[in-house]
Amino acid sequence: MNALEIEGISKSFGDFYAVKKLSFEIPAGTIYGLLGPNGAGKTTTIRMVMNIIIPDEGSIKVLNQRMDEEMKERVGYLPEDRGLYPKMKVGELLLFLAEIKGLKGSEARKEIDFWLERFDLSDWKSKKVEELSRGMQQKLQFIVTVIHQPELIILDEPFSGLDPVNTKLLKDVMLEMKEKGRTIVFSTHRMEQVEMICDNICLINKAERVLEGNLSQIKKQYGKNTVILDYDGEANFIKNFPEIEKIDDYGKFMEIKLKEKSSPQDLLPKLVGKISINKYEVKEPTLNAIFIEKVGGKEVKDEEDIISH
Amino acid sequence: MRKILSVIKREYIQIVRTKGFIIGTVLGPVFMLALIVVPIIVSSASVEKKETIGVVDLTNEIFMELDKKLDHKDYRLKDGFRRYVLEKYEPSPGVEEVRNELRESVLKKEISAYIYIPEDVLEGGARESAVKDAVPEEAKAEYVSEHTTDFEELRALNRALNNVVIEKRLKKEGLDPQKVAQYIKRVELQPIKITKKGEEKDTAGTFMISYFLALILYMAILIYGQVIMRGVIEEKSSRVVEVVLSSLKPFQLMMGKILGIGAVGLTQFSIWTLFGIGASVYSTSFIPAGADFAMPSIPAHVFIYFVVFFILGYFLFGTLYAAIGSMVNSEKEAQQLVMPVTMFLIVPIMLMIFIIRAPDSPLAVFLSMIPFFTPILMFLRITVLLPPFAQIGASIVILTLTILLMVWLVAKIYRVGILMYGKRPKFVEVVRWIRYK
Repeated sequence: MNALEIEGISKSFGDFYAVKKLSFEIPAGTIYGLLGPNGAGKTTTIRMVMNIIIPDEGSIKVLNQRMDEEMKERVGYLPEDRGLYPKMKVGELLLFLAEIKGLKGSEARKEIDFWLERFDLSDWKSKKVEELSRGMQQKLQFIVTVIHQPELIILDEPFSGLDPVNTKLLKDVMLEMKEKGRTIVFSTHRMEQVEMICDNICLINKAERVLEGNLSQIKKQYGKNTVILDYDGEANFIKNFPEIEKIDDYGKFMEIKLKEKSSPQDLLPKLVGKISINKYEVKEPTLNAIFIEKVGGKEVKDEEDIISH
Repeated sequence: MRKILSVIKREYIQIVRTKGFIIGTVLGPVFMLALIVVPIIVSSASVEKKETIGVVDLTNEIFMELDKKLDHKDYRLKDGFRRYVLEKYEPSPGVEEVRNELRESVLKKEISAYIYIPEDVLEGGARESAVKDAVPEEAKAEYVSEHTTDFEELRALNRALNNVVIEKRLKKEGLDPQKVAQYIKRVELQPIKITKKGEEKDTAGTFMISYFLALILYMAILIYGQVIMRGVIEEKSSRVVEVVLSSLKPFQLMMGKILGIGAVGLTQFSIWTLFGIGASVYSTSFIPAGADFAMPSIPAHVFIYFVVFFILGYFLFGTLYAAIGSMVNSEKEAQQLVMPVTMFLIVPIMLMIFIIRAPDSPLAVFLSMIPFFTPILMFLRITVLLPPFAQIGASIVILTLTILLMVWLVAKIYRVGILMYGKRPKFVEVVRWIRYK
C-alpha cells in the first residue's frame, strides 16, 4: 500500500512553472526524501499535497483517498515557515491545534501532557509561547505536528535552523514513528541527513523530477567507480590523469569519480609515493555527488529556500 | 462546523482575556458617563464667595435699585448670605480721579471689581446719531476687574443691572414694568412627535440619542473590523497560518475569526447595556433636581435594530478588513488600503445631519439603500422616523446579498493572500487571485 500517490501534478504561477508533471509514490511505513535545490518546487509540491495550493492538473491520493478535511486529521504537517501564536499559552495552543485536528478535549489533554513530558517542556505549559527560547519553540512545533498521531507525516525542511540537540531529537522521533508504521515525507537539500534516514528519494530540479526511487538502488546504478581519498600533500596533479571524470577536492579529502572503463585499482599505484595516503576507499558516489551532477554542477547552498509561492 | 467552533472559541477567549478588552469595556461607559456627569458636578460645585464691588453711578438713580435687586435670594450665596456687596463711590472730585482710585483698589484686592454706570444709560443710548439711519449705539456700563471670565457672575450682574435700567426707562415713559414683562413673554414652540402609537413630547433627546447610537455603531464596526484585520496580519506575520491550514480550510479560519470577534463585540454591548440600565436607574438620584435633563429612553425596536445593523455592518466591513489583512505583511502597509474602506464608514457619518433633518426624503431613502451605507444610515432613519417596513426589509435584503457576495469574493482573496509574503499585490493580481481555481 502507498501512503501517498502523486500523479502528473503541475502548478504554474503566471508564466512560471513551480511544479511540472510530477509523479511519485511513497510506500507506507517508509521515510521518503524530497530533494532539490532552492526553488525547485519542493514546498509547492508539499503544499499541494496538503491541499493548501490546488494543482492545475494531476491527482494526489493520500492514504488512498483524496485529500479533504477529514483526511487532514490523519496527516501531520510541519510547514517550511514555522509559526505559533506568540500570545497563547503553550497548553492552550496545543489544545487548540489538537482540537482542530479532530482530537477530543480529554484525549488531547492526555497527549499534550505526554508530549510535553517527552520533550522536557512540562514546566512551560502555562507560559506564553513568546517566552520560550527558539529551541523550545522548535520542540513545541514538532509536538504540534505529531500530537494527533498522524499516519502520514509531512515535514518541509525539518532540520533547517535546528541545533545539534534538536536535530538528534527530531531524527529519533522520525525513526520512532517509522517503527510504529507511520510514513514520513520530508524535503531537504542537506544530503547527509537523507543518506542516513531515507529509504526512498525523489530529486526535483526546476519543477521537474530528475531522479526517483530506492536510495540504495540509485546508488548502485551509479556503480562502484568513486574513490574517497583522505590525504596529505600536494595532489593537484591528479586532475590531469586521463581516467578521471570529476573531482571534488576539499584540501585533505577528495571525492574522485572515474570514467566508466577505468578501474580504481589502476589509479592507486599512480598516487603512491607522491602524496601521503591516509585512506583510499572505493565506494558508491555520495548522494551529494549525484545531486550535484544531476542538478548541473550548481553549488548547493545551505540556505533557507526563499521562494514564496 | 466543529472546527469553526474551535476557532471561534480561541478568538473569543484570547481577546476577552486581554487587558485592552477589560479596560475598554470598563472605561468605555465610565468615560461616557464622565462626559455627562463631570461638568454637572463641577459647575454646581464652583467656588462662590462674597465679593465687594464698587459702583460709580453717574445717573445717581440706579445704585439703590441695584443694591436691592442683588439682595434678592436669587443672587445670594447658597448659605443665604449676600454674594455681591455693593459700595457706592461718589464721582468727586472728578470721575477720572475716582476711577483711578478704584482701579488701585481692584489691583490691591480691596474690592474684587467696580461697575461704572455712565449718565446716558437711562436714555437707552439712543441719542440721535450724526449719521442718518445709523444703528443707535448700545448703552454701555463697565465691569472692571482683574478677572473677567467668570461668565456666570457677569451674566448675573448684567441681568440685575438690565432689569433695573429697563424698569427705570419704562417708568419714565409711564409704563408699568410688570405689565410690559408680561406682554413680551416668549412663546415656546414645542415639538411633539406623533407615531402610530400616539403622541409623545419630543425633546432634544431623540436627536441626541440617534446621533449617539449611530456614532457607537460606527465606532464599533470600525474598531472590531480592525481587530479582525490585525488578527489576520498577526497570523500571517507569525507564520502560524500554514500550521492552522493543515487542519482546516481558509474559509473556516476566516469565518471562525469573524464570528469569534463579533461575539466579543456583542459581549461588550451586553455589558454596556446592563451598565446602562443600572446607570439610568441610579442616575435619577444623581442628576441635580431641577436640571433640564431627563434620561432619554431607548425604545425596544431601536435597540433590536441596533444589534441587527451592528451584526450586518460588522459582517460586511469585517470581511473587507479580513481581505486587507490577508493582502499585506504589516499593519503599516495596511493603513493605505484601509482608507477606502474607512471612507465607506465616514461618508454616512458626514451625512448624518442631513438624514436627521430629512429622514424620509428620496435622497435619504436612496442613500440608506446603498449597502455600505445601510448599517448606519438606515439605523439612523429608524431612530428618527421609523420608515415603512418594506424599506427596512429591502435594505436588509440588499445588505445581506452584498455580504454573501463579499464573503464569497473575500474568501477567494483571503485563501491566496494569507500564504503570500513579500511585495504587496497590485489590484490586477488580486483580481487574478479571485479567478484562481
